[in-house]
Amino acid sequence: MKIRKIGIIGCGLVAQGIAQNLSHSKLEVIMFDEKRYWLENGIEAISVAIDNEISRWGLTPSDKKAILSRIEISTRIQDLRDANILIEAKGQNFEDKKDILIEAETVCDDKTVFMTNTTTISISNIQNYLKFPERLIGLHFIPPIPKTPIVEIIKGVKTDEEVVKITKLLMETIGKRCIEVYEYPGFVTSRVILPMINTAAQVLLEGLATAEDIDAAIQLGYNMSMGPLAIADQIGIDVVLSYMDSIFRNLGDPSYRACPLLRKMVRERKLGVKTREGFFKYDEKMRRIKNL
Amino acid sequence: MKVLTLNCGSSTVKYKLIETDREENIAYGKVERIGMIGASIEIVTKDGNKVVEEKELLDHVMAVDAILKMMVRPDLKIIESFDEIDAVGHRVVHGGETFTGSVLINDEVIKTLKENIQLAPLHNPPNIQGIEAAMAVLPDVPMVGVFDTAFHTTMPDYAYIYPIPYQLYRKHAIRRYGFHGTSHFFVSKKACEKFNCKTHSCNLITLHLGNGASIAAIKKGKSIDTSMGFTPLEGLVMGTRCGDIDPAIILHIMQQEKLALYEANNLLNKFSGILGLSGKSSDMRDIEELYNQGDDLARLTIDIYTYRIKKYIGAYFAVLGHVDIIVFTAGVGENSPLIRERSLEDMELFGIKIDPEKNEKVVGGKEGVISSDDSKVKVVVVPTNEELVIAMDTAKIVEKLKGKKKKK
Repeated sequence: MKIRKIGIIGCGLVAQGIAQNLSHSKLEVIMFDEKRYWLENGIEAISVAIDNEISRWGLTPSDKKAILSRIEISTRIQDLRDANILIEAKGQNFEDKKDILIEAETVCDDKTVFMTNTTTISISNIQNYLKFPERLIGLHFIPPIPKTPIVEIIKGVKTDEEVVKITKLLMETIGKRCIEVYEYPGFVTSRVILPMINTAAQVLLEGLATAEDIDAAIQLGYNMSMGPLAIADQIGIDVVLSYMDSIFRNLGDPSYRACPLLRKMVRERKLGVKTREGFFKYDEKMRRIKNL
Repeated sequence: MKVLTLNCGSSTVKYKLIETDREENIAYGKVERIGMIGASIEIVTKDGNKVVEEKELLDHVMAVDAILKMMVRPDLKIIESFDEIDAVGHRVVHGGETFTGSVLINDEVIKTLKENIQLAPLHNPPNIQGIEAAMAVLPDVPMVGVFDTAFHTTMPDYAYIYPIPYQLYRKHAIRRYGFHGTSHFFVSKKACEKFNCKTHSCNLITLHLGNGASIAAIKKGKSIDTSMGFTPLEGLVMGTRCGDIDPAIILHIMQQEKLALYEANNLLNKFSGILGLSGKSSDMRDIEELYNQGDDLARLTIDIYTYRIKKYIGAYFAVLGHVDIIVFTAGVGENSPLIRERSLEDMELFGIKIDPEKNEKVVGGKEGVISSDDSKVKVVVVPTNEELVIAMDTAKIVEKLKGKKKKK
């Protein structure tokens, strides 16, 4: 299959990251959402993200021009008809995702491949509601999406092998290593990292060490590029908490019982990088403010 | 013989149709945005007619097919049928250590090119795509690969081996390869012709100063050293590339700024050189304009740019023993009297004397001598023509092939 254009449903952080990543790989993208100003804000956020990259020499001003020129926006779902791959990155829960994809089926060609970004939602369950369930596959990107070279791909019970092949090819084209995972809550990345974040929060709550030192110990001790608390700030504390709760509900495993500190931080809206305060503080360019 | 030359990038193809017997361009042009919306094909005929069309060109096969269909269009009158094309010459950036000259392309050659991808991950894959596309569209036409690195394969080992653990050369083929080979070859040959001297009895220093820049020491027709190295990043200051720096600097910056590999790579390749120094532009014409307006960073940029050229010229004088001709070529080399003058000023002891009047006059793609009549070393500007080298090499190899077939 020759990729013509990729439709993205949604324009939030995940959708922005996917759009930037695809467009940087010279693919044409159309982003759809309900409100024009949401989409315009999404494009503005991509522009700021690229500016941050330029200030670190990661991208050039001409890269920025090229990336933005390949991202089209639309509030008409019919405009997704031109895309032969569709990535859903909007729905917050099962019902949302199911409804969005059912609607997408009414406008898209029968052969359009559907991909949905998910951490805990079952692909097989969504497939039960689709006219062509074999075309749906799950993706799990890890933010910051343009920079993280890994993606988990999740096959539902009815996913066609050809769809898996197309997905792998697309992910390789945008510089991602794919790992194929079984459909199980949290997949690999979240299952492994969440208990570490949770334990780090617990250690902080118990007063064993400062957030700075906990992260330094794990980062330097185990040669990681970031400590667990910085990772949590990147993901978003509210997102971490919702994943923990969801996996705990599904598996009943006590290692996923959320540390009370996470709940407290969500109540206080200390959600990490996006609110400029989580375990650490951040400046207006999302750079960590040192030595607090 | 009519030879089509192709220079394929990841989403572009530059092409030229050349009549090699008369060394004449029949048509040239480019295809852009292959695989993207808004792909376009441009063709310019020898009469200067220019046609640009938007088309859906999903891959290189469609692009090459579109080029050929454009050439047979009755209104353009370039060729009447595809059969008129006798051969296709491909520019290939990296030939590694395998290809010391241009070669007739067969399955074995393509296999070796694919093995060399790790040496030029950005350039060789689209070059290979271009070859495969041309083979698909013109299956019976012979194809020849002409390598940017080939001219420099005559360098002695002490010029191309880096003083790092030798096992890295064995394991990863880390060595100086040099680039712009077809350009250095072409202008050195032309310069020798101009002064009626034989290439095998003449020593030259050739300077290819474009957006990318390199300098070569040529002894009796053979490249014995060049400034670009394992990649085109080493050597002179370039438009956006840094050229020679202390390698420890990058390790230090990576640590201080917590840079990822790709960020460090971009910093050196896309944000340095003339652009990095001036902070304004990567184009020497802009920098000269700023310099004339008294901009101090533009002054510094030009000082560094020409100082480093001069250092290389001095070094190549030392390795060549004596120098007969210095050649300037490519965008800056062909068009900037200031850069030429500054690069060679105060070098009378080396036997180099520039005639300022002559120097001022040779611009805009003209060929001309810029040294004074009493200069021991002749200095000349020769416009480069890499496509012609590709076409002539291709014709030579294909003629030989035809000769062999006839003998059989």
